[in-house]
Amino acid sequence: MPIEQTIPIIQIRNCLLVSIQTELHDRLALDLQESLMERVRLTDAKGVILDVSAVEVIDSYITRILNDIGKSVRFMGAECYIVGIRPAVAMTLIEMGVELDSVNTALTLDLALEKLELLQS
Amino acid sequence: MKTVESEIGAILAGTISVITQRSIFNRLGPLAAMPVSQLSSNDRTTVMTELESSVRLFARRNSGELIASCARALGAAATAAGAAGAAAAPSAKRLPIEQEKDIATARLEAWSEAVRIGLSKFTSVKVATAVSELARNIVFYAGKGAIELRAVRDDRGGAGLQIVAVDQGPGIDPKKLQEIWGGTYKSQRGMGKGLVAVKKLVDEFSLDTAAGLGTTVTCVFRGER
Repeated sequence: MPIEQTIPIIQIRNCLLVSIQTELHDRLALDLQESLMERVRLTDAKGVILDVSAVEVIDSYITRILNDIGKSVRFMGAECYIVGIRPAVAMTLIEMGVELDSVNTALTLDLALEKLELLQS
Repeated sequence: MKTVESEIGAILAGTISVITQRSIFNRLGPLAAMPVSQLSSNDRTTVMTELESSVRLFARRNSGELIASCARALGAAATAAGAAGAAAAPSAKRLPIEQEKDIATARLEAWSEAVRIGLSKFTSVKVATAVSELARNIVFYAGKGAIELRAVRDDRGGAGLQIVAVDQGPGIDPKKLQEIWGGTYKSQRGMGKGLVAVKKLVDEFSLDTAAGLGTTVTCVFRGER
């Protein structure tokens, strides 16, 4: 049996940080969405930041997963930021006509935290 | 009595497993048990079309020779597509797609192939993304299939990469296909945008699908000039 794979969720003040370092397949993505929502509820988080700087390819399926996570986080009253999208990935998404419209984006983790702080003040 | 099954079975023996042969003959239906001498020319074409796609999908090598042998045994000419596939086969890289983890493997292979033949960094990411979409479609809708990567040259000698995604799944219903291109199709698991996205990314695109026989998507990425 393979070891159960999970993506760690780290809390920084009232933000939850997730760094995606692995292939986001069906099960893993659903698990992530579920545990993120549970953590938002438990911690009263105001923001969720997903770092995708290690993700080299984002296709329409992964985009849908990210949008779904963004939507569900927003339903809970928090804001979701995607950070670290690579230039080639951004170009590809534009050409494919795929929208990342249920999440906010920021260039870096630092900038996302800054934007979230502005939201709260 | 020489039936389609006994003749073709003898040719495929040793290259394609008995279990896979069974499923090929099942797909042929009553034609499999017909004596070769009683096949009409339409029957021959049906059998050859099915055999060509199956052999290309399941045989790891020599698919061109096998198809030619099958055609000889049936007294049929290989169709043009089969002959072209066979001629170009040696330089192709074939990636079986059977489960979710194969999607990631195919993506990586496609990426390194794109870099190897000299496509730019950006184009290589586009190649990997397109292969990811096509592989995902195979796993979601057909269960299994394969992706072939082949280096091609255009008439001016520019490098390009051809991607062929083949499956023997249920095929795409013409009405659904219209919805897909019209942007109104929504699938259960994806966004129903995968094919549209691929079409926008590539330089050449063609799709061949038939109910019950499967789907073949062929596309080409060209290098910058």
